[in-house]
Amino acid sequence: MHIVEILQRWTESNAFFTWLRESPSVWAYPFVFFVHTLGLLFAAGASVIIDARLLGAARRLPVAPFARFYKAIWVGIVFTVLSGAVMLVSDLQTKLMNPLFPVKMLFVVVAIVLTALLRRRITSVDDAESTVSPRMRALAALSLLCWLGAIASGKFAAYF
Amino acid sequence: MKSWWLVPFCKTLHYFGITVLVGIVGLVDLRIFGVAKGLPVRPLQRLMPWAVVSFLVAAASGYALLRINPANSLGPPVNIAFAAKMALLVLIGLNDILYFATRLKRQVDGVGAGQSTSASAKIVATVSIILWIGVVYWSRMLTFLAGAI
Repeated sequence: MHIVEILQRWTESNAFFTWLRESPSVWAYPFVFFVHTLGLLFAAGASVIIDARLLGAARRLPVAPFARFYKAIWVGIVFTVLSGAVMLVSDLQTKLMNPLFPVKMLFVVVAIVLTALLRRRITSVDDAESTVSPRMRALAALSLLCWLGAIASGKFAAYF
Repeated sequence: MKSWWLVPFCKTLHYFGITVLVGIVGLVDLRIFGVAKGLPVRPLQRLMPWAVVSFLVAAASGYALLRINPANSLGPPVNIAFAAKMALLVLIGLNDILYFATRLKRQVDGVGAGQSTSASAKIVATVSIILWIGVVYWSRMLTFLAGAI
């Protein structure tokens, strides 16, 4: 817990984090939270729809062109992770003590890794063949589960 | 006595609905802007009924949350963020009606793989994205102004 203590001490004395925690301004904590929500909704939303396509929804859509959406998905992920890190550091002890926090982090990390894996494989899907490989469908199903799991554990964490 | 899990459960459902909705709206709007031109628009827009279903899930769970804690949104005084969110949702509805009633949707359906959409379709998509970002913003502010963040 040494690093946690050092970080904690730093954020307690740091002007930015003090402002973020204590300011009633809508540009403080609420705005960072808004960025977090917006980034997550887009990244998770777009991923879930791509997962659904890989799992067999909207079969008339070719799969390979979906690769072009990933730049926007990564932008969403970066905004979500950065704003999440800022909120985490500003209230480190409380969040680390939450029993759902590691659960949420596990979902998030796996979801992000799967985003990279799916992005790499999606371009090589042959749209002349009507089915997506079972392996890729398994990755898509796991991705869907992880994004929804991240959202659910994030919501429930506030009530623990 | 209300169960402790009722509110987070409704919020989770609310988020699931919005996630699918934002996914469909976001991808359709991006395609209209010209991202992922390899996708023909018609089969992409055929996902729209699912956007309606996910909107209904979000609306039903949102209504449940409103009934559980009416003061958060309705006050008195009425929460400005709640009023702004509802107003933006009405504008989104009008934008959608415009999209369908002017047959713009049908025109966009005809846009095949590799083709670009019209300027009017891009305007409607821009309005859609701005309004949805506003809905997310005021939803965040809603809990904050209600002191329930």
